[in-house]
Amino acid sequence: MSAVSQSTSTLRSRGVQTIRFFARFTLGQRWEHLLLFVSFTVLFLTGVVQKYRNEVWSQDILSSPERLTLIRNIHHIAAIVLTIEVIYHLARAIYLLARRKMSPAMFPTWQDVKDAGRMIGYLLFLTKEKPKFGKYNFEQKITYWFLFFGIGIMVITGLIIWFPVQAANLISGAIVPAAKLAHSTEAIVAGVFVLIWHFYHVHLERLNLSIFTGRLNEDDMRKYHAAEFERLTGESTDAPDRGGQV
Amino acid sequence: MVRPKLLLPFVIIGVIAVVTVLALTAPVSAAPIGSPQSAGRVFDPPAQQTEQYCLTCHGNPDLKITLPSGEELSLYISADQLKSSVHSPAGIECEACHTNIKTFPHPAITYQTRRELSRSYYEACKKCHPANYDKTMDGVHAKAAAAGNLNAPICTDCHGAHDVQPPAQPRSRISQTCSQCHQDVYNIYKDSVHGEALIKEDNPDVPVCTDCHGVHNIQDPRTAQFRVETPELCAGCHADPKRMSKYGLSTDVYSLYQTSWHGVDISVYKANWPTIWHDSAVCTDCHGVHDIRKTEDPKSSVNPANLLATCQKCHKDAGPNWTSAWTGHNQIDPQRTPFLYIVDRFYGSFATSVLWVCIIYVALQIIHAIVDRVRRSLR
Repeated sequence: MSAVSQSTSTLRSRGVQTIRFFARFTLGQRWEHLLLFVSFTVLFLTGVVQKYRNEVWSQDILSSPERLTLIRNIHHIAAIVLTIEVIYHLARAIYLLARRKMSPAMFPTWQDVKDAGRMIGYLLFLTKEKPKFGKYNFEQKITYWFLFFGIGIMVITGLIIWFPVQAANLISGAIVPAAKLAHSTEAIVAGVFVLIWHFYHVHLERLNLSIFTGRLNEDDMRKYHAAEFERLTGESTDAPDRGGQV
Repeated sequence: MVRPKLLLPFVIIGVIAVVTVLALTAPVSAAPIGSPQSAGRVFDPPAQQTEQYCLTCHGNPDLKITLPSGEELSLYISADQLKSSVHSPAGIECEACHTNIKTFPHPAITYQTRRELSRSYYEACKKCHPANYDKTMDGVHAKAAAAGNLNAPICTDCHGAHDVQPPAQPRSRISQTCSQCHQDVYNIYKDSVHGEALIKEDNPDVPVCTDCHGVHNIQDPRTAQFRVETPELCAGCHADPKRMSKYGLSTDVYSLYQTSWHGVDISVYKANWPTIWHDSAVCTDCHGVHDIRKTEDPKSSVNPANLLATCQKCHKDAGPNWTSAWTGHNQIDPQRTPFLYIVDRFYGSFATSVLWVCIIYVALQIIHAIVDRVRRSLR
């Protein structure tokens, strides 16, 4: 909300363009994403090598029994990092939400279902107008909640196959083969999801680096988070643009 | 263009290369011609003359000498035994093996012990059976002999000398032959599912010693290499639908083992580090080696009553819940493993729908973006 709108018109007349930026993520959230990004990547790469350790390409990487142990240890360390991050994320979210210090913008609402319906209509050329999204559009909420539950499954099943004897003693032996199947399948599902869904939305559709910089420029706000832009500035996004991209 | 002066080195290199290739390939292609594969009949049709002649003395049951070691050496050869062996009726007579005895009176015996005599005469087997003889040189028994154990078996210890018989008639003969030395193993084997079927029914499908251990080039079964090859060894029969269907046994055991945690670990080691010992379970770790029994048999190590104790050999802290983690070489099944079945069915549809939803939605977005851009440029 670092609006610098007062002197915009005078500056524009002198050929200087100012871009308004909107705060989007706190420093803590950016660090959390970085931690998630690194641990997810490490876990995926070291996991895939183990999942396919019967294949030749994987065995070229696992060139010695020591290397296999090393890869397993790296996987376990990254898993601990991710688990701590998940616990921190949940604790912080619960604390802030309970104290009403954080907006529950990430929770799915009925509006998201309507947005999704209208977005599909727009993509199928049935409607001309793109729906106006709030701070997090339904695509981003899908990304968050898909990975939220996916990582939850990965953490639980991962702990089960890391400590199978204890898990069986505690609950039942039947969860061990099921956890092994779920861990190895969910990993691929999550990997494919991130590669197709998330990478398209943050790299191809537009290069969205706001999770690293913490801020989003006015053009992207107008285009992708119109409802949020209107809520923050009180300006309408329907008016013709003043020389932005669209 | 290459100037003639520069061409010379290439010509020299070319000639060297051609000569090298010829030199390397020539012995390889020439080898089979000279190799002693023609181990067939060497002798002419039966004459039965020397045999008759020798038996005039050696047919006397009392004929014997005392060796310098003090051992008594009987020189009596039973005519009946000779007649019923494989060699004599085929015309292979005394002098074929006793090559050093050509005259009477015979040259003086220089052997100190009976064993020395045996170890000397068995070399004669090589004349007609060079391939099998060479194989034994790679086996554990030859290695034991090389290490100084002169009691390690030679051809005649297993096949006999004057009474050589077809080795596998009946098949149980093989296991009984091995039992001459390996009595302890035989005693365990004869009560196993394989041994019992062999001895009681002369079952043609169950393994005798040599089916698993090899015949002449018997390998040490205690090595890491033998261990990682065990699943394949068992699969030779247990993945064969023709053989298994007779007994109502599943042939999935091998393929499912290979996808299991144990099986994948073992196959990785087999492919990359076959000589490095790995503890992940192979067939014999759970089912036993010579004492393999039917799962229903209460004495079986994999009988439900004994399964936990078998698992605990490696999984020390395993409790009573642990055996339910074992899917027992069975396909995923709603009755046997309901939880695993649900998870499997869930991911079967979930994984594919996630993939398709991602692909379709992103494809729609890409198409829309392209159409938008084209429209803008045409405007």
